[in-house]
Amino acid sequence: MAVAHLPAARPYTGRLAAGRALAGAALLAAVATLPWLSGSDPARTVLRARSADVDPTPAQLAAVREQLGLDEGPWAHLAHWLGGLPRGDAGVSWVSGAPVMPQVGTALSVSLTLMLGAFAVTALVAGLVCARTVFLGARRRLRQDRAGATAAVLASLPKFLLASVLATVFGVWWGWFPSSGWEGPQSMLLPSLALGIPSGAMLGGMLDQALPAAFHEPWARTAYAVGLPPGRIAQGALRRTLPGILPQLLPTVVALVGGAVAVEKIFNIPGLGRLSLDSAVAQDLPVLQTATLALVLLGVCAGIVIRALRHALLGRTLLDGALPALHRPPLTVPSSLRWITVACALVLLALVTAGLLRDPLQVDTTARLLSPSLDHPLGTDALGRDLLARLGHGALRTAGVALAVTAVSAATGLLLGLAPRASAGPTEVVSTLPAVLAGLLIAGVTGPSVWGAASAVCAVGWTPYAAQTAALLEQERASGHIAASVALGAGRLHLLRRHLLPSVVPALLRNALLRLPTTVLVLASLGFLGLGEQPPTPEWGRLLSENQPYAELAPWTVLGPAAALVVLSVLAVTASVRGRGKGA
Amino acid sequence: MRTTSRGLIAALALTPLLAGCFAPGDDGATGGNGSQGRLRIALAIPPIQALSPYSNDATLLSKLSVAEGLTVLGKNGAAAPALAKSWKQDNATTWTFELRKAEFQDGTPLTAKSVVDALGHAGAAQPKPRVLSDVTLTAKADDADTVTLTTKSPDPVLPLRLASPALAILSAKAYAKDGTVSPVGTGSGPFVIKKLNGKTSATLDRFDGYWGGKAKAPGLDVTWIPDGTARANALRGGEADIAEWIPTSQAKLLTAGTRHVVSSVRTDSLILNTGKGMFTDPGLRAAAREAVEGTDLVDSVFGGYADPAQGLFGPAVPWAADLRVAVTGRAKAAAPARVKAETQGKTLRLAAITNRAELPEAATVLQQRLEKAGFTVKLDVREYTQMEAGLLAGRYDALVFSRVTLLDTGDAVAYLASDFTSDGVYNIARLKDAGVDKAIRAAAAESDTERRHQKIMKAEAEILRTDAVVPLVHERVVQGVAADVEGVVLDPRERSLVDLDTHLK
Repeated sequence: MAVAHLPAARPYTGRLAAGRALAGAALLAAVATLPWLSGSDPARTVLRARSADVDPTPAQLAAVREQLGLDEGPWAHLAHWLGGLPRGDAGVSWVSGAPVMPQVGTALSVSLTLMLGAFAVTALVAGLVCARTVFLGARRRLRQDRAGATAAVLASLPKFLLASVLATVFGVWWGWFPSSGWEGPQSMLLPSLALGIPSGAMLGGMLDQALPAAFHEPWARTAYAVGLPPGRIAQGALRRTLPGILPQLLPTVVALVGGAVAVEKIFNIPGLGRLSLDSAVAQDLPVLQTATLALVLLGVCAGIVIRALRHALLGRTLLDGALPALHRPPLTVPSSLRWITVACALVLLALVTAGLLRDPLQVDTTARLLSPSLDHPLGTDALGRDLLARLGHGALRTAGVALAVTAVSAATGLLLGLAPRASAGPTEVVSTLPAVLAGLLIAGVTGPSVWGAASAVCAVGWTPYAAQTAALLEQERASGHIAASVALGAGRLHLLRRHLLPSVVPALLRNALLRLPTTVLVLASLGFLGLGEQPPTPEWGRLLSENQPYAELAPWTVLGPAAALVVLSVLAVTASVRGRGKGA
Repeated sequence: MRTTSRGLIAALALTPLLAGCFAPGDDGATGGNGSQGRLRIALAIPPIQALSPYSNDATLLSKLSVAEGLTVLGKNGAAAPALAKSWKQDNATTWTFELRKAEFQDGTPLTAKSVVDALGHAGAAQPKPRVLSDVTLTAKADDADTVTLTTKSPDPVLPLRLASPALAILSAKAYAKDGTVSPVGTGSGPFVIKKLNGKTSATLDRFDGYWGGKAKAPGLDVTWIPDGTARANALRGGEADIAEWIPTSQAKLLTAGTRHVVSSVRTDSLILNTGKGMFTDPGLRAAAREAVEGTDLVDSVFGGYADPAQGLFGPAVPWAADLRVAVTGRAKAAAPARVKAETQGKTLRLAAITNRAELPEAATVLQQRLEKAGFTVKLDVREYTQMEAGLLAGRYDALVFSRVTLLDTGDAVAYLASDFTSDGVYNIARLKDAGVDKAIRAAAAESDTERRHQKIMKAEAEILRTDAVVPLVHERVVQGVAADVEGVVLDPRERSLVDLDTHLK
């Protein structure tokens, strides 16, 4: 672990580049060997993709195998594909026989445009979420801590549900925007909102927590005292805190290029997420590899840009190791916080107790899609199962698995983030990788399993935490008190325990808790690969996805699970604020 | 300062992206017809091989009336004239087809040579189209408008076979040297493809030289929307005039006048693995059947958009009901106590595929019924491609499955042979039953249509006797058609949608 005292931003481009190349190469190799790892014959999946009702006779399979040159093994194929790349030739799709490059190029440009739209919304929402703190902080009127409940509520809105609702309300009912398609800027608004609102709330929530420390610094007091306008002070505070948040853009916003499959489906957007999922399911390797390469390159480029932006914002102070550490001022915890926490806890407790007393698996086809009543307080689903029972029975499993996955991801991220030079490359590469792809790789190796979904999410879920740890540590190491501690003879372990970790962990915790609902949904999204709990086991993410088609016909089928997810998220976030309040 | 320059860079980066990054199709490729009267169609399955007739895309060619074969399937399921105006069978293996005077969309005339070439290309295609998998076909031009077709072994359903979209006759220009086939501007139907934008959209114009007259609609604008809810939204939001395959969960949201229901040739059934595991025991199979029979899936899971199962062939196969043979000689069902004792410690692995939303739901209902009958059931719900190999290797005890009963030959024997004969390639039930084999062979050899149908129904009874398959429902398809559209073809075989008469009021 490289926790030594170093001038933080000493260029280590060489190692970074090596890390990126290595991680990218490992990922591409894994993708290229996917069919061989999983032992599922690509000839079969390709044949099926080409023609749904064709019988997979040995002769037909042999014909496909020969056509694709499958008998030569993965490496010959990979070498051939790599050989074509310098000429801009990524081969032809195994399924369609069409050149891969134009397909991936078009899909990538569509996804990039969508991502930019989502980024604009993210920035806007993040700005709104921390507007109050900025306003008060710049006027030195920041006394109370914030619960962050609004951010938690917005961040826990499932993107696909938001997308469904937006498409129905603005597309179908009011007809203001096209409900699907990708035919001009007017098609961009709804999907951008669906993707941007939760991301914006997540980033805004993190920024909102970091800001008070910046306003608490001496320069802000001085600036206020000499009468600088609040706008300038706010600008300074943002410049001070943004570098810590910027790396989150990579796994939160840039990752939408490949990871917005659900929203792409709902709005029928021909983006890279759908293309890579389809090609992964059909094991259309040339397309899948090229799409993965595009995502890897995108991740690396975005990583470089973000790094440059951070350094530009922090400026010389980072290089000179003269960055003062950020410390949160002691703020009073608002009294409403306790009520919110208690109310959320009570609601969840009531839900679980009431739910556990009922049968979550009892199918009653005569009672399908009943609206809430005394018999079924939260209504029933399409099979007449009691939703309260399903929510209650699913609560512990859902929360438990999501918390465990988040904890493992956060711990992994923290450890890797402590060695930023080694981990920066892999972080950038894995950031943009959709969890589904990791799921496919894992399903290929282990076969369907209950733990497969959790491992797949852990495999890609650590990147936000690694990026955050690395960024915060870089800033922390550049601060004067570290130099002082070292001068006083502090060892590495002491530095780590007393200075570095305390500066990173609270922010990391906030990040992890804000990401909790997303984790629940991503876990459920891997179900179609046979990963995770199989139906009919109740589990919140599955409840949401299996009831999504009924969102308009029977809104209660999704409102219950979505509300439960929101309550869980608010409880987690507010409880952490209370914990912090007590600790301070 | 910094903010401005960054904003500028962002704006500069955005402009070209925004200009070039929407789905192509807005660049005025509508053939100059304007949008007056053009039909906007939302289809479900995007083209997989640029509309090649040798892939899944073949049905798109017939759905949109772009290309035709020598024959076409009539309403009663018999072959009707298309590019061939008549035909006669010379002997068991030889047929003569008289071609009509027709013109391809690229202006070249239809000749016997174009038919010989087209069928030759289909026969040489790798992998072979499904429709040619069990027949070897040789075509010979007798004169300019007469073609003789010879099969290696007698093929009583040859005229039906030729109606398959995979055997569409395209002009010489369509067949490239590298084996690819492009129907863009090379078909002979009333609509000509002007432009195909990948998997997103296609523009079709009326082909004025069509032999059957001029289509009423000036053109078609096709969009592919794989998500069922999005398709329904497109129709409801007024962005599409026709949206096919509305999922049952969305059907109720459509206004009554736009909802058109048609019985489909798809049958959903529970397939039991007779080759391996607990269902090698006929008594347990019968117990499973009795547990499942009578389950009300139609009104619950399918929301009324299905017909209760009558056998393997449902109401969409018009001759099936009258010729149905009663099933006799079934094994006696094991009572729950015996089921419990015999399956002691064994779990019934019930598979379902996610590709059709109703199947996992149906599986959940069946699970409960089977558990009541004494089985211990574990569900395995996955994408089809994720489990196909396992299914064919017999790794599951039971499967809830949706299957087309009239494959692209339009002949029911093909389905029975591949799914239920001992050497059937798609025999998921792993059925090896001499009686079934014999009955299916007898049906396959019969050339008289009426007697063939009778023998098919006899084979159906033989198959059901084994309890290897328990039919659950016959699916119905909901087609969304806007109120101002007339003449949409509601085809149980899902092969036709738009024809000469389809138009906006």
